[in-house]
This record gives sequence, C-alpha cells and structure tokens, in this order.
Amino acid sequence: MRPACASALALLLTILAVAPATAHHTGTYTPKDNAITTNFKQLKFSVQAGKFDVARRLFDDGPLRREMRARAAALPDGLEARTRAAFDAGDAAEVERGLMVFFAALGRDLALEADRQLAAGAAPAPTGARFLEAIWRYYNLVDFAVSRRDARASVAMRLAYDDAEALVRPAAAPAAVSAARVRESFRRIADILSGIIHAPPAPVR
Amino acid sequence: MTPPISETWRLPPRAVLLAALLLLVTAEVGGASMARFKLELARWARGEMQRHPAVHGLVGVRDVDERALDEALFRFETGLRLFHMHAEGMALVIIATTTIAATLTGGASRRALVVLLAVGGVGYPLGYLLWSALIPGLGVERGKTIAEWTFWIPFGCATIVALLWLAALIAARVIRR
Repeated sequence: MRPACASALALLLTILAVAPATAHHTGTYTPKDNAITTNFKQLKFSVQAGKFDVARRLFDDGPLRREMRARAAALPDGLEARTRAAFDAGDAAEVERGLMVFFAALGRDLALEADRQLAAGAAPAPTGARFLEAIWRYYNLVDFAVSRRDARASVAMRLAYDDAEALVRPAAAPAAVSAARVRESFRRIADILSGIIHAPPAPVR
Repeated sequence: MTPPISETWRLPPRAVLLAALLLLVTAEVGGASMARFKLELARWARGEMQRHPAVHGLVGVRDVDERALDEALFRFETGLRLFHMHAEGMALVIIATTTIAATLTGGASRRALVVLLAVGGVGYPLGYLLWSALIPGLGVERGKTIAEWTFWIPFGCATIVALLWLAALIAARVIRR
C-alpha cells in the first residue's frame, strides 16, 4: 500500500472510530421512592383493596406517621389523629383527605424553603430545579385526590409548576434566570398548596 | 500466486497476554471487592459527597438532597460495576483480537495492530474506575468529562481503529483469494 493511501485509510478509520468512542455506557438512573412515598403507596393500595386493618398497621408503624408527628406544628391541628381515626372507621375518603393535606404541606414547606434560600442568594436555576423536583415528587402523589375535591386548585398547581419549570430550565441562556421571578413562582406554589391544606372538607367527585 | 495459509494460530507477544491476564485479575479482584466492601464504599462515597455539597448541588434539605445523593451514589456504583464488566470483557477481546492479528497479518501492520488492541483494551476499562473515584469529589458530569478525555476517547478510539483496520485487512485478504 502506498504511503498516501495508507494515511488516507488511517484518517478514515480514525474518523469512523471517534463517534462511537465518544459514547459510553454510564447506566440509566431511575429515581427511587423514599420511605415516606413508599409508605404512602402501601397505604393507598391497602385502602383501595378495602384492607383497613393492614393499612392501619402500616400507618401506625410507618415513616409517614412519624413524619406527620415530627411536622405536627406546621400541619393543621389534629391531622394525624383524624387520619388515624379514619383508618379505624374504614373511611377511605377521609384517609385520602388526610394524606392529601399532609403531602400538600410537605410541598408547601419545600416551596417556602426554596424561596428563603433564593432570597439568601442561592443560584436560581439549579436550586429552583432541585426544589421543584422534590415538590412534584410529593404533590403528584395526591394530585388526583386534589382534583376530585377542587379541580381549580389542581389546575392552578399544574400551571404554577409548569411556569416555574420553564423559568428554571430555560431553552437558552440558563445564566440569565431571574431569581426574583423564580421566587415569585415558588410563593405562588406555596399559596396554592396552603389553600389546599386549609380548605374545608369538600365533597368528593 | 497467493502463498498457502498457515493452518496454525500464532500467539501474540507474551507481554500482551500478561497484560490481558493482569486486566482479568484486576476485574475479578475489583468485582469481589465491590461485593465485600459494598457498605464501606457507599459510606465513603456518601461522606465525600456531603463534604462537597456545592459540587452535588446539595441544598441542606433532606427531601431535596436525598435524590441528588442517591443518583450520585448510583453512578459511583455503576462506574465500579462497569469497570468490572469491561475489564473482564476487554481482557478476552485483547487475547482474541491480538491472536487474529498475529495470525492473519504481517510486518509493520501486525505490530501496530497488536499494540493498539492491547493498549486500547487495557486502558478503556480503567476510565470507569477513574470516573467512580472522581464522582464523590468532582461530581458526576465533571468526573465523566475527565474520564472521557483521559481514557474513554483515546483508548476506545485506539481499539475501534485497530478493529476496523484488522477487519479491512482480513476482508482484503478474503477478496484477493
């Protein structure tokens, strides 16, 4: 083979090799449930199956109730006792409402903390994105329950979340994310969730 | 007239076989260590990640940070697992491909192919080990970029170039017959 021909072949081989060489297996991460969301799903499926004794046991010994107790000061008075009584009474709607209020409170507290950290100077895009992810992980578990009681609140929450997502994950110039606008969207989320938490019991549709 | 093809396989240089075997030994020791020290490794990685909160975007709120830590830990373990698997696989690839190159090619091509296949095959899996080691202190993406430019791209490229070259030489030989 002539030197020129060999060089051309070597160049061609290198070009052909570069594209596949830049792709590597790095695994696919699937977010896992945490102890509270896992316990919520256990409770939900037990109640749906009408196994209230199982659900009550899972509630009594589970991390969700421990978290409810730990956050009692930030929750409506007697939420834990009312939810426990609903398990005893086999009242699926009231159990659902208790859990809905609890998860809405978790989301609201995260939105308020995000606002506080952004006010203290945290970078809006990464901080906002992380908090939104955590809020949605909790809220999406109870969105169905919210929509059955207050469809407007459910729609408002989805819109507020979408708007906040668009703010913290802009298609271009992520450095130009406005902290003031991101804070405003977190306050809006916190207001909507507060409305859900403090709304009087509504008939289930 | 084409000379008669030798019916016997030719061994690659012993240094290449030794490198492949050492890679295999490293893969097995790495795999066994991963299982034996799983908890210790996870604890060390988690501790290092918490010592570098800005790198991992930690905000000091459990509900937010647990997912970031979980993902970084998952990538850390994936890097170790992929090192184990690639090192095992590449050791055998080195032996097979350098044997083919030693048997079916000759002269300067043979030497170059054997070197590229051996160096590329040994170096590529080490990128995964480096990636895992860098994740706790530098983060998933920065660690990946460093591993890419120091190991995966150069050594991966060397292996792919050598394989394409070897395939082209053998194809040319088949056509000529």
